Amino acid sequence: MKLTSQPIEGLRIDFPATLDAAREAVCEIIGWLESHHHERDECMTWELVLTEAATNAVTHSPSEQALRIEANCSPRHTQIRLTDHSEGFEWPEFVCLPKDEENEHGRGLFIIQSLTDHCSYLRGRGENVLDLQRQRKSTPPPTEDLAATLDLMTAEVSSCYETLANIFRLCAEAARDVSSEELASNWLRQLLEISGADFLALRMVTPDGTQLEDIANVARLSKAEIEVSRSSKNNQRVEGSQETLVSPLERQATTPFMDLNRADLIESRAVTLRLDQWFDGNSVFHQDDPLSHRSTAISGVAHPLEIGGEVVGVLTVGVCSAHWEPKARDINVVRSLGDFLGTLLHSLRRRDEANHSRLIKRELQIAADIQRSLLPAELPQSTTLQCAGHLTTAGEVGGDFMDGIALADEARLFVIADVMGKGVPAALFATAFRSLLHSHLDLAQRPCELMKRLNTSLFSELDRAEMFITVELTWISADGATLRTCSAGHGPLLLTDGRQVTEIGADGPPLGITVDEPYTHQEVSLKGVTHLLLHTDGLSDSTLPEDSGLSRDRLHQWLINTSVEGIDAWSSRDTLRQMHHDHHDNTRAQDDATFVILARENALLPSPRNQTLTHASR
Amino acid sequence: MNTTAITAPAELCSTTSRQWKERVIQNIATPQNEVSIDLSNTRFIDSSGLGVLLSLNKTLRAQGGILKLLNPSNAVAQLIELTRLHRVFEIVHA
Repeated sequence: MKLTSQPIEGLRIDFPATLDAAREAVCEIIGWLESHHHERDECMTWELVLTEAATNAVTHSPSEQALRIEANCSPRHTQIRLTDHSEGFEWPEFVCLPKDEENEHGRGLFIIQSLTDHCSYLRGRGENVLDLQRQRKSTPPPTEDLAATLDLMTAEVSSCYETLANIFRLCAEAARDVSSEELASNWLRQLLEISGADFLALRMVTPDGTQLEDIANVARLSKAEIEVSRSSKNNQRVEGSQETLVSPLERQATTPFMDLNRADLIESRAVTLRLDQWFDGNSVFHQDDPLSHRSTAISGVAHPLEIGGEVVGVLTVGVCSAHWEPKARDINVVRSLGDFLGTLLHSLRRRDEANHSRLIKRELQIAADIQRSLLPAELPQSTTLQCAGHLTTAGEVGGDFMDGIALADEARLFVIADVMGKGVPAALFATAFRSLLHSHLDLAQRPCELMKRLNTSLFSELDRAEMFITVELTWISADGATLRTCSAGHGPLLLTDGRQVTEIGADGPPLGITVDEPYTHQEVSLKGVTHLLLHTDGLSDSTLPEDSGLSRDRLHQWLINTSVEGIDAWSSRDTLRQMHHDHHDNTRAQDDATFVILARENALLPSPRNQTLTHASR
Repeated sequence: MNTTAITAPAELCSTTSRQWKERVIQNIATPQNEVSIDLSNTRFIDSSGLGVLLSLNKTLRAQGGILKLLNPSNAVAQLIELTRLHRVFEIVHA
């Protein structure tokens, strides 16, 4: 029977839960003790103790679960641990021989405890460990083999030079303009060659520290797969290598993200425990573990990558075999280069994040510049109508738009709009909207037709971008006596005569929703009306309770008071701006808010002229 | 007097003891006055092996016979003493 043994700092043997396998494992351990200068009677004692322990574990273990024996020794001390996956049992406080001295059972624990210096049984959920220790009878003679030691030191120095040379090359490559993923893939291929492994996988901890992200994953193809890949020419050949190719099958088997809380996934466990996690053909992989997706038996190690006490990722290296005994030199090179690669990638990521942040800031600045350029220098005043407007953007740039246009016949067109979204896309649509608006002012007297034209012209672009624009167009005749208003998904226009507020909404769908939708406008006489307010929904929230902030009712009451007191457009604008500022600072997340207030001259107290338009960024 | 001598295997442990016990039971199917187990070639015995010897001892005694253990090695004798079974078995050093 072939057992899986592996040199750790001692010897580790995994074996199936059968008595024959247990006996074979015990004999292998005894052979290892003999080779480490344990005396004959010490070996016989250990043979008896381990046979008792292993027989007990096999008898109570599920047949499909492997057991593990690990042995190590120092010149004065021997320690052997036996791990099983049975339900375990309570180790008695006092281990005695059977009361009936002719009883055929019940002497195993007594023998174990009598023949060891220390014996402890750690019972866990699904895993129990019996820890056995004995002092050695004598110090082993010095066994240094000078030639072997020299070979070992030479190999170690050689691996150090090799590691150092590779680190220099890695630094040089990182200095080029190369992505983190490309750099990682290139270097995993190099590591594949250096280490003699069959596959390597690199995962980095995500910025929020909750997951492992798959960065690069390379594997050596079998000769048959190489032939297939050469004929299909779909794979990428590695420079200087005839054997190593990236395997698309292995790539498909990877998992993009892995939860760091999953202690049952080997790579997550390596990061969480900050310890190398070895696995082999006897390891039981959870079905969610990416390592379980590989088609053949594998063995290897998942090595956590640390920078200054912080774990930043994990490098997994392995072979397509149930058993792997890597040379210490190979493992050292993999660990050293892996640690350095992790450090480098972590730094590159930080750099990329900083660059990305700068780009976004620059983009928002551009969008803000565009938005400012769209605002009119000032709103058109007339002898019958004062107007003042204000635009507040919550961030660098929003999607709100306003305009006031003096038409050729001295009539006025006021426009207020809100492009869905923020940033450069919203600013570009606002630019297109303004251009179209100004090129169709011949339709301004008929707001419904102007709205339909704007929708027809913008529909395909808005539809493709899955965006829309809400608009309110308000035309006021030259004598200031008549108003026509058309809304595309916008809130109502407010009018007041000092006694009540009237909401006027001739509502059609926002621009970009349906191409053939007809729009209508309402015509209203402004007789008796003193103030008009056009605004976006950011100014007032109709869903708020009456007593909180700038609710719909509070806005109406303010408008009536403004009318009664005969306040001019600019003072009204300043008061309303302050109310909006106070309310939104205290009660909820900020939003864009844009409004235009119109006051009819004959209803007002005398007041000095003021700036017609204000713009604030919060 | 009906006497039988049986040689125990080199290793009398969990992997071998059950099979050996069945063979011995067949050999002593007819009532025996005395059965001697030669342990001189047995280098290793564990609690399973001891259990088989205890079982054979009970069987023979029930038949009116006795079991003797011949020439156990030092290691085997030490284990018998450790487990206090020297008070149960008759041990003979030739």
